[in-house]
Amino acid sequence: MKVKKVLASVLSVAMISSLVACGNAATETQTAGSETQQAETKTEEAKAEETAAASDVTDTITIMVPPITGDYVDLLGGWISEFNKEYPNITIDVISTSWDDHTEKLTTMALAGEAPDIAEVSYAAIGSYVENGTAIDISKYIDPERLADYDQNALDYMTLEGTLYGLPLYITIQALGGNREMLEAAGADVTKIQTSGWTYDQFLDVIKNGTTSDRFGFVFANAGATTQDFINIFGVAAGITSSFTQDLKYSYTSDNMLSLLEAVETMTSSGYMPNYAVEAGQRLVMLQTGQTMLTGKAMPLFENNIKRNIEKMQAKDPEAVEGTIEMEYVFLPVPTMDNATASVFGTVDGMIALRNNNTTDEHLQNVLKFMDFLCSGERAATVDNAVYLTGVCESARKAQESFELDQSDENAAAVAYAISKVVAPPTGISAEQSANAKTMMDETIVPKFQALLAGETTAKDVYDAICTEAYKLFGEENCASGWIK
Amino acid sequence: MKKQEIQKKNLSKPRYHMADNISGWGFIGVAVAVFVIFTLYPVISAVITSFQEYKPFGSEFVGFENYITALGNDLFWKSIKNTLVYTVVVIPLSLILSFSIAIMIVPFTKSVQSVFKGIYYLPGIASGVAISVVWLWLYDASPNGIFNRVLALFGATSQNWLSSSKTAMLSLIIMALLSSHGANIIIYIAALHGIDNTYYEAAEMDGAKFFQKIRYIVLPMCRPTTLFLLVTGVIGSFQVFMNAYMMTGGGPDNNTTMIGLLIFNNAFTYGKYGLACAQAILLAIVIAALTTLQFKLMGEDIEY
Repeated sequence: MKVKKVLASVLSVAMISSLVACGNAATETQTAGSETQQAETKTEEAKAEETAAASDVTDTITIMVPPITGDYVDLLGGWISEFNKEYPNITIDVISTSWDDHTEKLTTMALAGEAPDIAEVSYAAIGSYVENGTAIDISKYIDPERLADYDQNALDYMTLEGTLYGLPLYITIQALGGNREMLEAAGADVTKIQTSGWTYDQFLDVIKNGTTSDRFGFVFANAGATTQDFINIFGVAAGITSSFTQDLKYSYTSDNMLSLLEAVETMTSSGYMPNYAVEAGQRLVMLQTGQTMLTGKAMPLFENNIKRNIEKMQAKDPEAVEGTIEMEYVFLPVPTMDNATASVFGTVDGMIALRNNNTTDEHLQNVLKFMDFLCSGERAATVDNAVYLTGVCESARKAQESFELDQSDENAAAVAYAISKVVAPPTGISAEQSANAKTMMDETIVPKFQALLAGETTAKDVYDAICTEAYKLFGEENCASGWIK
Repeated sequence: MKKQEIQKKNLSKPRYHMADNISGWGFIGVAVAVFVIFTLYPVISAVITSFQEYKPFGSEFVGFENYITALGNDLFWKSIKNTLVYTVVVIPLSLILSFSIAIMIVPFTKSVQSVFKGIYYLPGIASGVAISVVWLWLYDASPNGIFNRVLALFGATSQNWLSSSKTAMLSLIIMALLSSHGANIIIYIAALHGIDNTYYEAAEMDGAKFFQKIRYIVLPMCRPTTLFLLVTGVIGSFQVFMNAYMMTGGGPDNNTTMIGLLIFNNAFTYGKYGLACAQAILLAIVIAALTTLQFKLMGEDIEY
């Protein structure tokens, strides 16, 4: 009986409540018309609240960077704090890598669907990320006004098939560096070379004269993957400024490549250049200790490295390179072969946005805010100053105005000459072409080049092997033939 | 009463069984879970990926295309050949070295044996990368390189150890032969201790000399151990990666590109996961075939 009573009471309460609710609903329906204005006002308020809420929504951005400058990761910490003052709800996670493992780590993470939101890459690597579907068209997420801050030619480097995948951070020029005293003793007119270049024959004479029983005339870092640097940087001597010609044909099948390989054969067989692979770090040590007169790849910033090392040596600092000699570092352009146009290899490094499992449009807007922050203004200027070069965006150049480089006038003139000779890669290279060029470099050119260095094959055989593989990969009609200008 | 007690005991038995079963399943479960997560799942995943053109956001099924590409690639066959050459030289020499050292260590007292075991095992606990760096220094191709300085003492010219196709593979083989015998030596010593002394006593009574005892007693008695080390050695050698990766990068002209390095490059340098998985599956088939062959040739008359 008690249960029945309780049940009856509950049901009664429920009935009464529902009736009251119906009554309220009816009243609301009747007054709906008169309250339309109020409702609109409420909607606007809600929108405003939503916007406020959106800015309160926390977001985490991951960035992967190698030590672009020696202290880049430390600097990044300060810049993140600065960025957080404006965007306190965005957390930035930094993945710090070394130059050695950066690309491999990034590729692995990207393929696992766990790429960082932002990563530092050289423009030539963008094709791989486009090919595997992780690179993102950033033009949709950046304010066009901000994009206008960047130089168009630098943006072109970060563009593939008309799509912009990242923002440029800095441009580097890579050529040769040497010991002034030794070069002049070997008959080089250093100042003239720095401002108007030199021919390959002049270069060959100088390295011949500069070679002694305990010193090479010329050393280039060419161990393993750094072979690619030699092809890129010294390739301009033969007029090869990119893997593709202006009409988008693969350029390493041209006669220019054969001339380049023959030059290597001459330099190694005559003993002007080592016939063994030299590691990247080793070539600078060889220059600093007088084991070579001339080295590559060399950059303007080496002037600073060499000066600091000599200071350490004079102060008897144990961190100085053992056997350091006093020297004046000179930055020189790569020589030019007959029939080739004088040019210098330049490359743009920048930040690209990558897709991962957490990517959304809202997130990408935040990603681009931070990417733009890093690639512009004082942040970019700091990097540009460290590499002794001018910025690639207006705001960075402005920030650079107050900075004075510790650079000799002669080297500054050489840098100006080199920059004027940089040829941008052709536009319109497809992601597939870019990925195939990487495969050619890694699977054919680098291994064959090592055999050429060791004197175990001839330039002609290496060239023939490159042509055979390239014809298979690109099709003969898409490969350059004869001498390209 | 007695009948009741017996009935009680019988009733309680299944409870004990149940408890035993639960703990048994628990222990097996951990091992099974580890196996499923870290072995079975990756293997199944690799098989599936080998039939795809892998992309992190939307792979495409391509049938046997990756297998056809792998089998039609000259570099794949070159890497198999390089791995075979490396294995054929390193494994037998390594076994002979380990066996000889174990034979020389066994007559010592236990404490002296432990010292030798420790010394020979030491490279095994050192980081492979660190060891490779030391070897890179030894093989430095400049006249200042350690090996080249030794050659200079005898008036020989400097060698391009790691960059010449004549010496690159030899350099990797020398490195392998001088770097890692510790585990093999310890296993051989254990096998030698397992041989009953009565065999030696009987042989001595028959006037057997040292090498006769080795030939007629030690070698046959150690045959199961040798087979085990041979099989595991061949499997390990076919998977060799770090030596080539650290020392030569596969060069010059891919003359030291092992199959493990090729798979690594395809997966992590070029991002061709599908092709890399197909090559890994082919490698697994080759290893399985070789292992079966070894058991067929050597294992039939072995008693364990």
